[in-house]
Amino acid sequence: METKRNLKYYFFLIGFLLMLPMNAQEVIEVSGQVTSADDGMPLPGVNVRTRGGSDGTVTDFDGNYTVNANSDATLIFSYLGFETTEVPVNGRTSINVSMAADNEQLSEIVVVGYGTVRKSDLTGAVSSISAGQIQERSSLNVMQSLGGQVAGVQVQQTQGAPGFAPTVKIRGTSTITAGTSPLYVIDGYPMEDFDMSLINPQNIESIEILKDASSAAIYGSKGANGVVMVTTKRGTTGKTQVNVSYEKGVQQVVRKVGMMDAQEYIQYYIDAHNNSWEVAGGNASDPNDVRPPEYRIPPEFLSNPKQFEGSDWQDVLFRDAPMDNVNVSVSGGNENTRVFLSGGFVSQNGIVDRSKFDRYTIRSNVTHDISSAVQVGLNLSFTNIESKEYGTEGKAGAVSLALQSSPIFPVYNENGNLGFIDPNSEWNRFVPYGLQLWHPYALTREIDNKTKRFNSLGSAFVSYNFLENFTFRTNLNASVNNRRYSMYQNAGQRYGYSNINPAVAEDNTSYTYNWLIENTLNYEKTFGDHSLNVLLGYSLQKEEFEESLMTAGEFPNDMVHTLNAGRPNTASSFASEWGMISYIGRVNYSFLNQYLFTGTIRRDGSSRFGADNQWGYFPSASVAWKVSEQDFIRDTPWISSLKVRASYGQTGNNLIPNYGSIGLLGQTQYVYGGNVVQGLYQSTISNPDLKWEKTGQLDIGLNAGLFNNRIYFEADYYNSITRDLLLNQPVPTVTGFTEQLTNIGEVRNRGFEFLLTTRNLVNDFKWDTNFNLTLNRNEVLSLGPNDSPIYINNWGTTKTEVGEPIANYYGYIFDGVFLNQEEIENYPHHPSTRPGDPRVRDVNEDGTIDEDDRTIIGNAQPDFNLGLTNNFSYANFDFSFILQASVGNELLNSQTRYNKWYDGGRNGYSAITDYYVSEENPGDGETFKPYLNYPGLQRQFSDFWVEDGSYLRIANLRLGYTLSESALERTPFNTLRFYANVDNLYVFTDYLGYDPENGILSGALNAGNDYGAYPVPRTITVGMNLGF
Amino acid sequence: MKTFKLIVLIGVSLFHFSCSDDLLDLDPISEMNENEFYETEEDFQLAVNAAYETLHIHYGPEGGLSYTEQLSDEATMFRVAGSISDRQAFKDYNLRPDNTVVQAIWDDSFIALNRINTVLTRLESVDLDENVESVFTAEMRFLRGLYYFNLVRMFGPLPLLDRTVSVQESYQILRSPENEVYDLVISDLEYAAANLPLRSETEIEGQATKGAAKGILGKVYLALGDNNAAQDILMEVISSGEYELIDNYENLWDIENENTEEGVFEIQYLGGVGNPYSDYWTAFAPFENFSITRAAGGMNMVTEDLWEAYEEGDPRREASINEGYYDTSGTWIPILFPKKWEDRTVIDRYGSEFSENNFIVLRYADILLMYAEAANDPEYLNMVRRRVGLPEYGTPGYPSEEYPTLKLAIAHERHVELALEFHRWFDLKRLDLAIPVISEAKDVTITEEDLLLPIPQSVRDQNPEIAQNPGY
Repeated sequence: METKRNLKYYFFLIGFLLMLPMNAQEVIEVSGQVTSADDGMPLPGVNVRTRGGSDGTVTDFDGNYTVNANSDATLIFSYLGFETTEVPVNGRTSINVSMAADNEQLSEIVVVGYGTVRKSDLTGAVSSISAGQIQERSSLNVMQSLGGQVAGVQVQQTQGAPGFAPTVKIRGTSTITAGTSPLYVIDGYPMEDFDMSLINPQNIESIEILKDASSAAIYGSKGANGVVMVTTKRGTTGKTQVNVSYEKGVQQVVRKVGMMDAQEYIQYYIDAHNNSWEVAGGNASDPNDVRPPEYRIPPEFLSNPKQFEGSDWQDVLFRDAPMDNVNVSVSGGNENTRVFLSGGFVSQNGIVDRSKFDRYTIRSNVTHDISSAVQVGLNLSFTNIESKEYGTEGKAGAVSLALQSSPIFPVYNENGNLGFIDPNSEWNRFVPYGLQLWHPYALTREIDNKTKRFNSLGSAFVSYNFLENFTFRTNLNASVNNRRYSMYQNAGQRYGYSNINPAVAEDNTSYTYNWLIENTLNYEKTFGDHSLNVLLGYSLQKEEFEESLMTAGEFPNDMVHTLNAGRPNTASSFASEWGMISYIGRVNYSFLNQYLFTGTIRRDGSSRFGADNQWGYFPSASVAWKVSEQDFIRDTPWISSLKVRASYGQTGNNLIPNYGSIGLLGQTQYVYGGNVVQGLYQSTISNPDLKWEKTGQLDIGLNAGLFNNRIYFEADYYNSITRDLLLNQPVPTVTGFTEQLTNIGEVRNRGFEFLLTTRNLVNDFKWDTNFNLTLNRNEVLSLGPNDSPIYINNWGTTKTEVGEPIANYYGYIFDGVFLNQEEIENYPHHPSTRPGDPRVRDVNEDGTIDEDDRTIIGNAQPDFNLGLTNNFSYANFDFSFILQASVGNELLNSQTRYNKWYDGGRNGYSAITDYYVSEENPGDGETFKPYLNYPGLQRQFSDFWVEDGSYLRIANLRLGYTLSESALERTPFNTLRFYANVDNLYVFTDYLGYDPENGILSGALNAGNDYGAYPVPRTITVGMNLGF
Repeated sequence: MKTFKLIVLIGVSLFHFSCSDDLLDLDPISEMNENEFYETEEDFQLAVNAAYETLHIHYGPEGGLSYTEQLSDEATMFRVAGSISDRQAFKDYNLRPDNTVVQAIWDDSFIALNRINTVLTRLESVDLDENVESVFTAEMRFLRGLYYFNLVRMFGPLPLLDRTVSVQESYQILRSPENEVYDLVISDLEYAAANLPLRSETEIEGQATKGAAKGILGKVYLALGDNNAAQDILMEVISSGEYELIDNYENLWDIENENTEEGVFEIQYLGGVGNPYSDYWTAFAPFENFSITRAAGGMNMVTEDLWEAYEEGDPRREASINEGYYDTSGTWIPILFPKKWEDRTVIDRYGSEFSENNFIVLRYADILLMYAEAANDPEYLNMVRRRVGLPEYGTPGYPSEEYPTLKLAIAHERHVELALEFHRWFDLKRLDLAIPVISEAKDVTITEEDLLLPIPQSVRDQNPEIAQNPGY
């Protein structure tokens, strides 16, 4: 309904704009020939159009063209591989044009920290993504669209809920415990842990990723995870351009997980019970009345199992989810003022029942020249998001529980209730048999949750140009983020949960206010062959965070969901803040436009750092040599451009706890004389030396354009060592503490990045290919005085030790199952071992199976990542696809603990249906015999839990049709385009879960741990862009 | 005009500088921190309270003392939640240095000792009222003596700390021999005995008293085999007139009747949501019973041996042990489990129980039996037997075939009188009965080396200089 109303409004707006009068001028016919400046050969297929007008054509085979244009119009000649050329008509009827070969790839302007540079002048490693690469993608969070597109940037979509922020890692993992999120800089405003779903992707002009430390060092203690620079669209001088886009789409589950159906499950249940009963001394044929309760089997399972049709709980949980996306933007201006205005609305339902994401965005970017020297500007955006977040809870969330629920039950019982624990249902007879049901609807329909977020982001600036070469600029930035979460769980959840819970409600509110004041002074001058650019600046930034949390229970009924109807049982609030002062300096120097040097330094002071280490310096230096500017190369026609670069920089990671350096007091209670008394004790040790983690990174790079830039190649090698890693260093407990937050430990990331862009076909049929490859090798170099390994147990175990990458999976290796007693006796084994139990490898070959046989069994970090984009266009059609691959990474499937062996009545993967039954019928030889309990090592963390996470993903597929200008001639439109887009079409993988990118935990030590994460959906959209 | 603008801009930027100091010195808003604490008497009272609170962990149903029941012939474990194998390793005498429960016992103990030592160390640098300071000191030294006494009997030689240490210093601290540990224990308890108030002098139930310090000191002397010293100090408690046996044994755990004249040192709990509640009842209830408790730990299920240890007609058996329960379908499930901390009236909210039951660390009956042991005097044994109406030692009705010596009679009496109260394993060790009794009861072969817990692996990973106990 809402969408419809919005649409009506937009159509009204369009209609209104159509009534605006059009100017009429004298139209003349202009003709001529277009040739190449290099060799004078005619250029066929050159696009010729008038600026701001609707007329246009292409040159014929001999480079000739004829076009109708106003006598005062300007003709624009554009052709791939050549510089776009503009020629005023000035009443002429014959205009011949010579087009120069374009170093387009190198002349584009790239946004870097506190400024811009020509791409050809870059001395560091910066990747740039243009609006065209993201604008028709369906992702609500633009970072989702970058997967596979940028070398050195790993974008992992850990959960597929609408708008869910992916994990973005730039050049590996340089930290163990601190934050891994890159710094986001929105129109110059640096934001830590920023949620990019607050920014409408349609408003983004470009994204630059500062990968090497020399580029990021200007952001000092915030730069070690890399920097993502986001630039929003600006108004341009000239005729007002209005763009309207509308797209409609649907999301679907890409791959369902193969689970046992009711019949397979019943057999599995019977076998597990009988196997255990036999171990307890019984016979499989014994009736229930001679068995203790836990060994009993529902009689119908044996007498008439076919009566159970059951339910596929995934089909109940998932749905095809529609989405609508509408955007309107207005861009224009005159000599003094440029304006970009945009409004957008997107409504995306999620594939998990009832999950939903609605976003309204408004943006206004205005710049105004007060005089030729003084410019002011204001970027303002408002974002309102209302979402229903179901299915992202991981453990105990709807996705995980749907896979665990017994598949024998109907969706609704005969009373219309959800579950068999309904005392009035005939299904209640199954209660004594230990079956499990967490009905999806009990979590999605019997729990009502809402999240509302409102963000306003404002950046204002004044810049003042004086004494010719100086520019002083002041930026004032502020961001306000409000978040409200409310939840109400119906009493009893219609018997759909494992037990009958009373109604509870929750109400949480948070408020984050961040501001930044920044002053910079820039000096720019060219002296003969020398050109110099100097930047000095300082900034102040502060963030305040407040939240309140409340819960209530004892609701009389489920009518009112706000807390007033119940009895509050907890109420709490919390606040924290941080502040930062920074000084920055940068020198860019170039000689003969051949030798380029950049040096930066930043000094950061932060409230997070300990009193004895409050300030840090972050220097960098980089050099580049444009080899192609040398005469000997200039004469080599097939080399269009060639540049070598080298840089070194130091950056910091300040994503450490706000008050980590200060010893905190813990609160506790005791009882004296029958009264509760409060107690306070020191709960953490203070550390006045606490500081940022420091990364020093060397980067050596090469950029080369060959054959008129038909082939463009970029390669980088980097070696990055992060020191002073912030670790909760285990300390002897005799101190009274088990750990102290200390700057200790070192980790190295080194690797290669390759980018290859080729223009395979450039004529009528155009074909470009973009290929990128990333190899990163991560190694822990030190972990403090004793290099004690760090073990993290989250269902599975990771071990982080010196000489290995961070967070190796660490457990037993199962070499299939023992087929018979003889095999058991011939191999070391756990004392409980029986035929059909796993053959646990005696890793240390000491003849016994014990905890010392645990070993490294995988890692979530890939050996390499690949991305391949192909763009095709012919006439008005364009087509592109993106392939993305990750190779050599493993994944911890925490659902294993419930779905890969019989566990308390839970369902199992269909992949384990072929389990060991007997020596004659040993199954697949890998899946051990099911029991009710496993006295051996079956359930211990082993390679049984760890799966190959390699994949090949068809990340994107897009087909577009752009109406030619001639077709639009008699319409008021100047652009009209239709497209169809598919994101995440398919993923090829052996993973038993939904998607090998799935994960429910964050942080370097918890990478790749899937425990019922929200599947990453396929999104199919069709859309239309209209400009006038 | 230009100059004017420049001045404005410079002025604006200077303004920014002037407010910048506030940006870096930010103290926690919502977290109390040590920067302005440990100064006043009120601060120290809060710190002392937090030190007492460690009793809830040390003596809690999942604490180190509770696990000694698993090591004894009284308790066992069937199904439980959590890391089952590490927990069952106690009853199976299958402990390894990387056992997570052993690790937790160690860590919790030293965290507790640090809370105590923090008070004692911080008291050195403030000037409080002398009496207040000596009572705070005595309370802390009482707890420190008690903890070290328990720990030395569990782990043997220990890192000995009489004050707080920095991370740097901590690497120098190795295990001190048992006699040095006992020296600290004795000096702490002697100081406590001298400076704590009598039970009758304190208005606050739960505060450590002179009697408690002397009673524990008596236990220390017994453990060291110094029966004369034990006899003297225990007689001081007995003759103080501060304590007596209450009439009805089972009333000792009546939640309406806590802190009786028999309770020499009781750990205090208060039932109810949001209170420091007791969870012995739920922790000691059969796992997943779903009928008598909502949460159930399955810890310290009672052995047949204990059930059989009671004499015919001993009312303490029924007061101490449940024989089973009715499940949700009304079926009787036979299983022996503790009854002493039963709280069937507890309100079950938010999925758990919030019970009231105190835990008695030291009872007057224990004092009497210790005295009987130290003085070799059956009269004090018989005082305990008289309460429950059993024939006195040395009279014809006494089962002297089974307990022919006074030593065995006292051991038996302690077994049934103090059943499941975390004494048995220490008693067996003190009386040199541990190896035969436990070997038979648990059907395991154990040696002297099994009677100390391993030093946790992580402790030795951090500091390889710290020696492991023999046998691990």
